Amino acid sequence: MKAMKELDSWLKEQDRGGEASDRPSRRGFLTAAGLGGALFGAGRAQAGKDVPGHHSLGDTAPAPASTMLKLVRRVTLGLTEEEVARVDELGYEGYLDYQLDYEAIDDSELEALIEHNFPSLFLDPPEYRELMNGQLIGDLLTATVIRSILSKRQLHQRMVEFWTDHFNIDVRVGLGPKLKPVDDRDVIRRHALGYFPDLLRASVRSPAMLFYLDNYANRVGNPNENYARELMELHTLGVDGGYRESDVVELARCLTGWGFESRRPETFGTFLFDPRFHDNDPKVVLGEIIFNPADPIQDIEEALDILLAHPSTARFISTKMAKWLWGYDPPESLIEQVVGVYDATGGDIREMIRVILRQGRLRTAPPKLKRPYHLTTSVIRSVSADLGRARGLWANLLGEAGHIPMYWNPPDGYPDTLEHWVGLQLSRWNIGFAVMNNEIGTRVNLAALLGDARTPTAIVDRIDALLFGGEMTAALRDELIGFLPGGEPNESQIRDAFALAMASPSFQWY
Amino acid sequence: MSGHQDCGCPEYMELSRRQFLAGTGATAAALSLPAWLPKVSFAQHFSSTRDVMISIFLRGASDGLTICVPHGDPNYYTARPGLAVLPPDSGDPDRAIDLDGFFGFPQPLGVLMDAYNDGTLLIVHASGSQDASRSHFDAQRFMEVGKPRDPTLGSGWLGRHIASVPPKDPNALVRGIGVGYGLQMTLQGGPKTLPVPDMDNYGLRGNPGTQQERQAWIEAAYADAQQDLADAADNALATIGLLEQIDFANYQPAGGAVYPNSPFGYSMKSTAALIKADVGVEAVHLDKGGWDTHNNQGVFEGQMYTLMTDLAQSMAAFHTDMFTEDRTDWTMVAMSEFGRVVAENGSEGTDHGHGNAMLVLGGSIDGGRVLTQWPGLAPEQRYQGRDLQVTIDYRDILAEIVQNRLENPNLDIVFPDYTPTFKGVTI
Repeated sequence: MKAMKELDSWLKEQDRGGEASDRPSRRGFLTAAGLGGALFGAGRAQAGKDVPGHHSLGDTAPAPASTMLKLVRRVTLGLTEEEVARVDELGYEGYLDYQLDYEAIDDSELEALIEHNFPSLFLDPPEYRELMNGQLIGDLLTATVIRSILSKRQLHQRMVEFWTDHFNIDVRVGLGPKLKPVDDRDVIRRHALGYFPDLLRASVRSPAMLFYLDNYANRVGNPNENYARELMELHTLGVDGGYRESDVVELARCLTGWGFESRRPETFGTFLFDPRFHDNDPKVVLGEIIFNPADPIQDIEEALDILLAHPSTARFISTKMAKWLWGYDPPESLIEQVVGVYDATGGDIREMIRVILRQGRLRTAPPKLKRPYHLTTSVIRSVSADLGRARGLWANLLGEAGHIPMYWNPPDGYPDTLEHWVGLQLSRWNIGFAVMNNEIGTRVNLAALLGDARTPTAIVDRIDALLFGGEMTAALRDELIGFLPGGEPNESQIRDAFALAMASPSFQWY
Repeated sequence: MSGHQDCGCPEYMELSRRQFLAGTGATAAALSLPAWLPKVSFAQHFSSTRDVMISIFLRGASDGLTICVPHGDPNYYTARPGLAVLPPDSGDPDRAIDLDGFFGFPQPLGVLMDAYNDGTLLIVHASGSQDASRSHFDAQRFMEVGKPRDPTLGSGWLGRHIASVPPKDPNALVRGIGVGYGLQMTLQGGPKTLPVPDMDNYGLRGNPGTQQERQAWIEAAYADAQQDLADAADNALATIGLLEQIDFANYQPAGGAVYPNSPFGYSMKSTAALIKADVGVEAVHLDKGGWDTHNNQGVFEGQMYTLMTDLAQSMAAFHTDMFTEDRTDWTMVAMSEFGRVVAENGSEGTDHGHGNAMLVLGGSIDGGRVLTQWPGLAPEQRYQGRDLQVTIDYRDILAEIVQNRLENPNLDIVFPDYTPTFKGVTI
């Protein structure tokens, strides 16, 4: 693929020069001498919002002609002409099957590119010990962003993002840079579209997690509750799942001795259960006795069985997945269906998704706000930007929007709520301008996007096809045509039109 | 300025529209003010004597027993052989700085002694939320919304305060700023309130020559957008114009105040500049995280030492910066979701506890003391046998500030289903 080759050559030159200039241009600042003087430009109407029809929910959200594009928006990190064509060809069910059967999708070219440019993602744990943290973080984040944008396995990428937040680890903290790459590969990506019990068991053995939530320091006689608490509260039962403080204490006792090798270089970063530090006495977790003096590692295996079998876990995970894929406030009937699938299949993530995204269900789903990461990937994908110094995407744009992957510090992960993300509009608008003006190291080939479109109408048609799959609202169409001067707009005006469309209300939803 | 016509009344129209919207959809309900919020009395007249409120949330459960050391309580030393700050007369270089003969500051908080001694800094000990939760996320939410365990309450105490009083400045385009990327729950529900990650860097990218045109386009495009999106857009556009006027980059703190060269210090400095610019912002919220010291708490060097130093130096700089110019029209409160266990754990840290210490700083605060009903730290005196008790509800402190310093009598709105008992923290 042409984009791949160009990306590859750009990446080879990745380390030349310093950071691209990324600060917004400074306006001349007035010194503060009291309020005085004119405020921002064209005096804004104070009461201008008493407009009929102003209050209807989502009236500038995309109003899909078909549920098919809605499905594509839910399972991808942004529409592309390629995906629109694919769903047209396969139909709703066919496209959903296609994305669910992710291993059958050929992503080998992208993966070869990733392996070639970011070899640090593919090492054995001990090999990380000697590498520089800055390099490791840079590789992991840049590769994450590139995969999100270029992978054909888009649903897999969406679920990688989801589980990364669910099993949150702040990559910057302590040994994070040396441990999280393995967690990302062997815990999150391996099981994102697998089985929840497998994912959980992998996470519980993950040195990155055991470090991040202090479990390596959890020892008999000196318990540390941090991981045990979050394992129940955030990873399985949920805060209202019906566990008590005593369960946290008892679960912590089950987890004693569960850590990782950090001293011996030849086994650095590997999971390690040290029976010397394990509390072998009986424990009671959620009403069940756990006692395995002959085989103490079974303490935690049994505890996990208990957590996984608890009805609150099925409900908590099902609800969170429904919120991720369907909408902020999923109906009880949907949650119950997904719980039923969890129970019947032993936590088969794909089958749970299939139920959440059934056509009849998705048809009634209200729009969700794209989080900044999703907005950024959808901007890039819509215009097939060359990724070049993809680092600029997360270092600059996502930094300004407060959504750099794996930079969320508390264990609850980046929120997926309207209230958290809706306030910071300015950073969202700036994403489109930064990308369209090639400000952060990526490049948009405008001529290729436009084809022979020259007039405002033709240009807006292209914007419609690329950004909205042909579903641009009439209002936005008028506004964009109104922005572009008559005749043949120049390149700068066209870039601005794209960026304004990317900043428009419709493009904020999916 | 007389009568309600000048007091930014579209907000009151806003209020009733939000009530109308409550329940019309999950997203609207999540952000709308509670349906029971009554129409604000128009009898309240515009006043500019109210303090600016600066709310600081220490996220992760700060260790109040280190921030304000009970050196007079022998059980403190029994419970914390490794982490205890030694008494003022111990000769230890890391010894406590005496405050009142019983309590003291750890060394990093020594920079606040000027504020303590001039009576503007108050410590409220054995305080916090009476709710039993030891979940960070629940407890933070409960504290920020001002009521525990009410899933229907999706607004913050300070947001509801802003919504239930006329603007401090009728021309204010922006009333509340949350320093950060997502508007903190404390401020949710506040009209003309938004998150600003960096006050000195808040503008639309692209060619300055087309900036006005593009902003105007955005404004028009968002006029008919979904309510929350439209409001956020309005706020963003207003804030661009507002912050453009303030020269943060060249701001010179008064009195030689030096803010720490840290994100928090920088935000505090920006807050001072913002207040001095008198552009109508009446509430600022800042977060400071990292307090969850389960492991290697680092009281004398390391994690908590660094956190305390950053917090204290920032607050001390703010105090100098503002008071040197007789700017006393502000109140600052620092609080945390709960404290930490009395006894240290096996990893030289502490686990989640209950009672904590609040810091209150301001021109009209009755400080220079530690306000508390000290319950003691012996095992039988602890909450659930493990934690410092809560003897003063944090809302008692905040409510008095809201009424006396922010001139808002609507305490039933700001702290629903709670009747505060003032403790005499304001003068």
